[in-house]
Amino acid sequence: MAAMSQQPASGAGAPVPVEIVVDGVSKRYGPVQALVDIKLRIAAGEFVTLIGPSGCGKTTLLKTIGGLVAADAGRVQIGDRVVSRPTRQCAMVFQDFALLPWATVQRNVEFGLLLQGAPPADRAQRARRYIKRVGLGGFEDAYPSQLSGGMQQRVGLARALAVNPQVLLMDEPFASIDEQTRRLFQDDLLALWSEERKTVVLVTHSMEEAIYLSDRVVVLSPRPGRVHTTLDVPLPRPRELSEVRGSGDFARLVDDLWKILRKLQ
Amino acid sequence: MDTSAPETGQGRTTLIAVGGLLIAWEIVGRLGVSLFVPPVSQIAVVWWTLVRDATIPRAAAGSLLSLVKGFVPAVVLGVSIGLAMGRFASVRYVLAGPINTLMSAPLSALVPVLIALFGLRDTVVAATVFMFSFFVIVVNTETGVRGTDRSLIEMARMFGASEAGLFWRIYLPAALPALMLGVRLGVIQAVKGMVVGEMLISLVGLGERLVYYGNTFLITHLYAVIGSVLIIALAAAQLTQALDRALVRWK
Repeated sequence: MAAMSQQPASGAGAPVPVEIVVDGVSKRYGPVQALVDIKLRIAAGEFVTLIGPSGCGKTTLLKTIGGLVAADAGRVQIGDRVVSRPTRQCAMVFQDFALLPWATVQRNVEFGLLLQGAPPADRAQRARRYIKRVGLGGFEDAYPSQLSGGMQQRVGLARALAVNPQVLLMDEPFASIDEQTRRLFQDDLLALWSEERKTVVLVTHSMEEAIYLSDRVVVLSPRPGRVHTTLDVPLPRPRELSEVRGSGDFARLVDDLWKILRKLQ
Repeated sequence: MDTSAPETGQGRTTLIAVGGLLIAWEIVGRLGVSLFVPPVSQIAVVWWTLVRDATIPRAAAGSLLSLVKGFVPAVVLGVSIGLAMGRFASVRYVLAGPINTLMSAPLSALVPVLIALFGLRDTVVAATVFMFSFFVIVVNTETGVRGTDRSLIEMARMFGASEAGLFWRIYLPAALPALMLGVRLGVIQAVKGMVVGEMLISLVGLGERLVYYGNTFLITHLYAVIGSVLIIALAAAQLTQALDRALVRWK
């Protein structure tokens, strides 16, 4: 019997979700103490949202988990590996989409696989598959400038999923997308997530979004950024197929979150 | 599709404007207002004579060779140095001073230096072409690299891009539109450099013919050669523009 590998293969097969442990992470930018002694444990396959007022360091924390930002103190562990730089375990979805304007949708979705050295045939096939899964089948040859914001972010999501990461990091992915598109997109994200259980860390400003999507909401307080509260979201899943948004429980949880955030403003 | 319609419209307007100008010139020429305004038809006839007796082709061949010998190195070196300056602050600190100084210096002032370096041979024309076109290519390429979207760099790093990967897959394509603008501006400068070099320094090629016909008051011949220089300049501009369109299709 082969031992279970935590290395995500760049080929087919769903990777095993992994736990993320943030252990005493601090980060300072010049005179600004962005993060102080952050301790956080995110279970394998859990969907966690980071929320907090501007300047609470939530994006910095996300980038530290991804290995893009080096912590001054403390460490991040994903599975059994200590994070020191970006690795194949994580993929990120960016607020401004970060699509290559000179490349087609197909090429953009292939880009992560290309940088990770996947063979061309495999690349093309995986990209086509994920373009379809995010609902953009038929747009393979379009350029980003020809797509709406929502569609561009779907390309960003397909690019992240195509490399088959164990952890999906999302930095305010829906912030620049209009409300109706956002709701549909959130439902599609939940459907995709239920098929490919990945550990997801999402940064957002939206309380509704945090409650609707997450298993747990982590509230950060600003200057310096600390973990203020953690709020469990015991709403049933799959939420995308039900009327969760209209339920009293949903409203109550959003209200609880607001009461916490209001004190932090 | 939707961009082609206004473009042909624009092309037609340009054609009408140029045609109108030529007709006006012809009329003024025929009225005999000045010795210095011969009719366009007469210039065309002289031009054709000079083409058939190989005067213009021989001169143009020499000029074009100098243009290529100066412009190709200017593009290769200009793009390389511009990329390095855009990517590495240390290179920028070292080269920004000299390059900005030379770029704003009146290049004709450097003519004696060029003569000292290259003598009065054809090479000096290539050197002038290089001097005229090099800097605008460097500066535009550098600007293009420095304007690279930070989030694209972060995205590529997140997927594990190496330094080389970042360079080839992000910085270079991101810089391409500005780089190509530099090449397009550079080629126009290069034609100027060619004429300046041939007229002021070396007395070869089309520049030599310009000086000769000017000094001997063969005004119609002079205009025929000026016309040839304009054709070269237009052709060079069109060629680089076509290259730009082919490389930067996504814009």
